[in-house]
Amino acid sequence: MSEDMATLYDQRMARYVAAMHNEKPDMVPIRPFAAEFCAKYAGYTNQEVTHDIDKAFDAVLKCAAAFDWDAVVGNMVYVWTGLTDAAGTNYYTAPGIDAPPDDAFQYREPADEASAFMKADEYDQLIDDPTGFLANVWMPRVNDYIVEPGQPSTYRNNLAWLKGGMATLTYFTRFGEQIAALKEQSGTVHAIGGCLKMPFDILADKLRGYRGLCADIHRRPDKVKAACEALRPHMMFNALVGSDPTKQVPVSVWLHRGCAPFFSLKAFDEFYWPTARQIIEDIWDNGNGVQVLFYAEGDWNANLEFVKQLPDHSIIYHVDRADIFEVHEAVGHKFCLSGGVRNDLLAFGTPDEVRAQCKAVIEGVGRDGGYIMDAGAIMQDDAKVENVQAMTDAAREYGKY
Amino acid sequence: MPDDKKPRLEPGECIPWEQRVKEYEKLLGDPEVVKKVWKETDMLGYLYIWACLIQF
Repeated sequence: MSEDMATLYDQRMARYVAAMHNEKPDMVPIRPFAAEFCAKYAGYTNQEVTHDIDKAFDAVLKCAAAFDWDAVVGNMVYVWTGLTDAAGTNYYTAPGIDAPPDDAFQYREPADEASAFMKADEYDQLIDDPTGFLANVWMPRVNDYIVEPGQPSTYRNNLAWLKGGMATLTYFTRFGEQIAALKEQSGTVHAIGGCLKMPFDILADKLRGYRGLCADIHRRPDKVKAACEALRPHMMFNALVGSDPTKQVPVSVWLHRGCAPFFSLKAFDEFYWPTARQIIEDIWDNGNGVQVLFYAEGDWNANLEFVKQLPDHSIIYHVDRADIFEVHEAVGHKFCLSGGVRNDLLAFGTPDEVRAQCKAVIEGVGRDGGYIMDAGAIMQDDAKVENVQAMTDAAREYGKY
Repeated sequence: MPDDKKPRLEPGECIPWEQRVKEYEKLLGDPEVVKKVWKETDMLGYLYIWACLIQF
């Protein structure tokens, strides 16, 4: 790595870390979560970057080299068909297979009890032995080639486990190389380390489905709570095993549908929040000292009273569709904020409109530090290149301290 | 699902060393060497299963 690139990397890391600890760096850091946008910029289709990780990584490297961004993620098109197709994962649609090549991958949610990945009467199995339940019950249900224990094994089954494991190892090995390449080629910081999901979200997304879980909190509330508690240490373990050993960049948690109006504040308090809060506090405290990027998808402002309970600086609060000025008023003194630039503006607005919004956010939220420029949600291929450039330029123009 | 014969799995485990070590007739060398590599490789299996749930 050249000396200039090393200096640039150090400057960007210092800027990013200072903002995340609610301090005032030299300027507002820029940390876009760019997914299919990178494909569009680099000239690839969505199908290409979903299937070919070399192209997915190359697209991010091209964007990192072209835009003056402080931090990015090595690949935000996180569903790689090299892995999912190896086992026949059936809860995704993939561009070029069962979706048009220009679509993004999509999650296919269980519509009813019959299609749920975990049945209502299987809570005790999950609670007693989460890993065993996943390996023996869940994996065969969500992967077409994997058969249940006790059933005759098949060639496809044997290969699904082998190829899936090898593909995962390949993916994460390549991811490490991508992080190094970002640093060496463009002096860009890798924005996150380690992935976390909240137990209640996992129950909804990958096990019972949202509709099933809505019924469960009334029909079997104690089982739901016990399941969240059983999943909690595993969520912690998996988050920390992939976290930044230098503890500079945060673990990311993608918060799905726990907030109002998906669940009432009473239900949130009773079911979602106890394990979510405990996990964040344990990642931050207990010698771990790692921040959590609290990626609040949708509008979480009704739930801000809960967020306030978290220790100062333990999270970076990412604002998607909520009013970021309200968030700043409520928790800006405790946590760094990120996001708040509307994705619909990046897709359908003009560069002048984008610039005006960025200026307003920086002046209203970032004036004392503790703010990171980003779109509200992950940027897909509907974001216009000129608007993303305008967001970048505006952050540099208005974001100097 | 678990019974008396099956120890409760901790995070990072698929088949605990305590279970595996009983399956050897005897270990002629240093058991710590065998244990270390067993646990490290066992954790790869664990991480794959949980990555499917959490990451993808």
